[in-house]
Amino acid sequence: MNCPYKSDETLLDYTAGRLSPDKAATLDLHMQTCRDCAALRFEQTAVWGALDAWEPAPVSTDFNRRLWQRIDAADAAPWYQRLADSFRFGNWKPAFALTAAMLVIAAGFVLDHPRELRQPAGAEGVSTTEAEQVEQTLEDLQLLHQFDSATAAPKQM
Amino acid sequence: MMQGVNTIIGIPSSVDLDAQLMLQVREGDDGSFAVLLEKYRNPVIHFTFRMVQDRAIAEELAQEVFLRVYRSRQTYEPTARFTTWLFRIATHLALNWLRDGKKERGQHRLDDDRDGEMPAREVPDRLPSMEQRMVYQARLQEVRDAIAKLPDKQRAAVLMHKYEEMEYSQIAGVLECSESAVKSLLFRAYESLRSQLAYMANGESK
Repeated sequence: MNCPYKSDETLLDYTAGRLSPDKAATLDLHMQTCRDCAALRFEQTAVWGALDAWEPAPVSTDFNRRLWQRIDAADAAPWYQRLADSFRFGNWKPAFALTAAMLVIAAGFVLDHPRELRQPAGAEGVSTTEAEQVEQTLEDLQLLHQFDSATAAPKQM
Repeated sequence: MMQGVNTIIGIPSSVDLDAQLMLQVREGDDGSFAVLLEKYRNPVIHFTFRMVQDRAIAEELAQEVFLRVYRSRQTYEPTARFTTWLFRIATHLALNWLRDGKKERGQHRLDDDRDGEMPAREVPDRLPSMEQRMVYQARLQEVRDAIAKLPDKQRAAVLMHKYEEMEYSQIAGVLECSESAVKSLLFRAYESLRSQLAYMANGESK
């Protein structure tokens, strides 16, 4: 079918009652000769009527009271609680942004301090202590040697 | 409490009435928030209810919508119509809820919650017979199922088009897509609905 109305929103607007009287009259005329459009209008009107029948549940009478309670509680909540609340109902965009920002900061730190981070924790401390201990031992040995020399000298006299 | 909107100074007249109320909320006027809540509570709850088809979840989502509106008051700028902004929040929350698969977890509630719905619309006769009631309930269930089967974005577009009577441009603003994309969504959605529900026009049973 090459009907121009079949692929645009005119028929939807027609059944929704949103066409101007002029346009509606034009479409009425068209549908007298276009069986496809007439069938489409018939079906769409049926859908429209079926949807009309669906009425939602009545709203709880304490909806406003609960909301104001939540508003008061949210105002009094600490910042981390408000942050956690903002992630409810799958609102993870801020979390992704925060994580990305933290990763960038961490990456920047790693690039800025490469040697400190590559060395195993405490490794430098251990080697410094060992060197000091060896040095101290050598000094002690030297002192002992000097002491031995000093005590041995009177015997020779 | 609330000032008359005509007396509000410094707000461009092009800003819609609801946005003007929201600007008043920004200035610390909780009364204006109460006015907006009263005006849009039912539309928002009805929208979320039709999106998630669960009364308790719908109200919880609607509470979150208004809570976010209130918490955003300090940074609010009337860059779009207030209802566009409001329904954008509602749609995002409902779509997130559906996406996270909470629908499956709460599926049992769909059946438990039937008595929470409005009583079936009475047929013209004074008292509908039991059979008429049963037929009506069965058809209502088919409508709900047909809507539930739609892809989430199509469902949101249909609900805004049909029940909130929004223009294509406003739906596009809510869904953050082009007007032609909205028309395409609606076209496909109504096509699906016609294939499932059009038989009702003949008064037939499926």
